[in-house]
Amino acid sequence: MKCRRCGKQAEIELRSHHTAFCRDCFKLYFLRQVKRAIKEQHMFSPRERILVAVSGGKDSLTLWHILLELGYNASGLFVDLKIGGFSEHAREKVEKFAQKRDAKLIIVDLEKEGIPIPKVVKKTGKEPCAICGQVKRYFFNRIAYEQKFHILATGHNLDDETSRLLANLLRWQMSYLVDQGPVLPPAYRLVKKVKPLYRLTEYEIAAYAFINNIDYFAGKCPFSKGATFLRYKHYINQIEYEFPGTKLDFYQGFLKKMKPFLTPFQREETTSSQVCPRCGYPTLAPLCGICRLKEEIEKAG
Amino acid sequence: MIQVRFFPENKEIKLEGPLTVKQLFRKLNLLPQTALVIRNGKILTSDLTLKNGDEVEIRIITSRG
Repeated sequence: MKCRRCGKQAEIELRSHHTAFCRDCFKLYFLRQVKRAIKEQHMFSPRERILVAVSGGKDSLTLWHILLELGYNASGLFVDLKIGGFSEHAREKVEKFAQKRDAKLIIVDLEKEGIPIPKVVKKTGKEPCAICGQVKRYFFNRIAYEQKFHILATGHNLDDETSRLLANLLRWQMSYLVDQGPVLPPAYRLVKKVKPLYRLTEYEIAAYAFINNIDYFAGKCPFSKGATFLRYKHYINQIEYEFPGTKLDFYQGFLKKMKPFLTPFQREETTSSQVCPRCGYPTLAPLCGICRLKEEIEKAG
Repeated sequence: MIQVRFFPENKEIKLEGPLTVKQLFRKLNLLPQTALVIRNGKILTSDLTLKNGDEVEIRIITSRG
């Protein structure tokens, strides 16, 4: 297979675009996709301070790498979940990444916060992925807000977005669907969230990370076994295999044809300025999820 | 034999060559574009052929949470 752009031996085959690229031309294609996402979705300007939520995996480290390469003012935030045999390895990769590039890294230690994930799961019996997601989202926003970042960027890719869209559509989860998209606007004490890699698949990101020698953590979270989001990704990949290009069409179609109709609901649901009396961050409940969790853990001893 | 090493599991298997990358995916029950196949530091497209004596790495790329 030859590179469509320069005719050299191709390395990266993009079935959805009926094309293939050599590594140099693929880098150009990849950067163009990221720049297009930032521009078309009005994500941020070069003057704004960006906080990148990093897990140590290929997606978030690739995102941080690209934003630094493009000259953005991008710092990293790592939430140490304290999952033994997993978190320490991920943290090491993130610290090395930041050190090598002389980039600012902020770390939130859940042990110090009193809610390390294994303890929370053991004491409350809650579903690990749901609780982990909730805790991470809370600290991503809180740190971004307190340290005066304009933007919170995450490494969500096209596979993450389409599998989530499929799951939400199958259950008609309207309250989740209104929030789905590459940009979530700012609200009271909520920092604007963006997903600059939303146009790119996991395959493209893995290829980019490989050819750019991004040393990422590829370990498996011991709590993620049988996680439903992995099943939806698998189903989406099967559809993509039979009908290349479906993923991008599915997501772009949602953004263009359905999302505009959801906006009125979104406004209705996010105008509340109700805040948690303990931490001061937005919640619709008497206490926010994280303060409730802390209280539960304290009671359980 | 073709030596196939899985990353990050570090598991190794041997397969009889020649095999195209496409055939390798089918043999391993993997969907195309759910893994990178790497030989001598280069990513291989599905039409390329692996010969006996080749050493390849398979990087499964699905995020694991």
